[in-house]
Amino acid sequence: MKPLNLLALLLFLAGATWALTRSEPTVRDIQATYYRSISPFLSVGSELEKRSRAFLDEVEHSKVLEAEIEAMRTDFNRLRLIEAQFRTVEAENASLRRALDFQERTQFDVVAARVTRRQPTTWWQTMEIDRGDQSGIATAYTVVTDRGLVGKVDRLGSHRSTVVLLTDEACQVSAKVEGTPEAGILQGQREQVGGEPMLRLRFLSRDARIREGMRVFSTGRGGVFPSDLLLGSIAQVISGPLATEALVRPSVDFQNLGTVFVLTPQEDNP
Amino acid sequence: MIRYTLCLLILVLLAVVVQQFLPALTVLNGSRMLLVPLVFLCGAVTLPTPLMLGLAFVCGFLTDAESTLGPHGGDPEVYTRPVEALRFGYSILLYGVMGFIMQGIQPLFRQGRWQVSTILTGVSVFLYLLTEYLLINFVRGGFTFSRGTLFKIVFTSGLTTIFSPLVFWLLFRIAEWSNYTIRLDGLKRGATRAQAV
Repeated sequence: MKPLNLLALLLFLAGATWALTRSEPTVRDIQATYYRSISPFLSVGSELEKRSRAFLDEVEHSKVLEAEIEAMRTDFNRLRLIEAQFRTVEAENASLRRALDFQERTQFDVVAARVTRRQPTTWWQTMEIDRGDQSGIATAYTVVTDRGLVGKVDRLGSHRSTVVLLTDEACQVSAKVEGTPEAGILQGQREQVGGEPMLRLRFLSRDARIREGMRVFSTGRGGVFPSDLLLGSIAQVISGPLATEALVRPSVDFQNLGTVFVLTPQEDNP
Repeated sequence: MIRYTLCLLILVLLAVVVQQFLPALTVLNGSRMLLVPLVFLCGAVTLPTPLMLGLAFVCGFLTDAESTLGPHGGDPEVYTRPVEALRFGYSILLYGVMGFIMQGIQPLFRQGRWQVSTILTGVSVFLYLLTEYLLINFVRGGFTFSRGTLFKIVFTSGLTTIFSPLVFWLLFRIAEWSNYTIRLDGLKRGATRAQAV
């Protein structure tokens, strides 16, 4: 080998070792810088994509869209009324809890976000949303839809974030089966290609009395996800010699995610 | 050579941005064209080893900056078996290995047989994805390799190979514009020996 090539190889290996030995916060800083750098390009690209899609929608379904907007307006007004009532009840509830010296549950606000990209990586089940730390979002915040848990925020940019989906193997949720004392860890399965993704609920007791169709909720234990979020329903029970496992069909349709909500801690928590 | 290398670097950065907008094809098991590895592999065969290694470092670094997942977090008493993630920086080594594979057939490329390099691009992407998947299995335990995963790797390699002649054509144009001649080391040595004889 030529001396110059050998020197280059040694430098290359030194660089790779340097990268491999970076600590978690340093990696996060590098990723934040990376996303900040490409953010303007992504914003322009997303905006163009959004405009072209909106234009096509406008051309193809203007009447349908008009009707949809009208229905949404009605719904919005109705929900605003419900929210106002809910806030009153919430304040009343809080004052009663204080009076009774109850341990108060954590309250959340929500930030609505649009899904800008699905599956940006080869092996991980992730998606990108158009909200970042400028919207009050932070790493590990919970992401939901009206149907249940979607995942949690992983990488954070100023105006966009990456969400690890519940269907990814790396996203674990402490879960319980409705109507039973059974609790375990729910997680996605490695590389499920095509078809409907299924989740695996593990570490249930050996004689778990669970059956297909039972709903699965988060327990709130472990400090990552809040309690009582709907995760899915049991599709198959697998009995083992030491523990029972179950395949769970997610409640969220991961193929058709348009708008999601990020749960953020309530600032005006009394 | 400096101008050509800089152009190649800019091409890699452009590929990083364009890659963001290339969707995964659901009908092909979530396969996609991998633009950054493609530009690197095509560039690797045209560069001398030290510059190839430099480019491998940049590409691997950017790839990991984009895709490395953070730790799950949470109470270790509840999440007793956290799922391990691949370490930041592993792609740098994979890119380096891919670069050396491409340079293995550099003499053929220098003779003008770029078709062999095109095929090798697909082989390299296949090996890259396969190694990456095997690494995931290794760090997480519980080996699984479904037919869907195999198809995903094959289709991704195929899609990437299809576009490699286009990248080679682009690199030839850039080389021409920047007055960079892909050196004919082996051929020159052969010619000198022939002259001496």
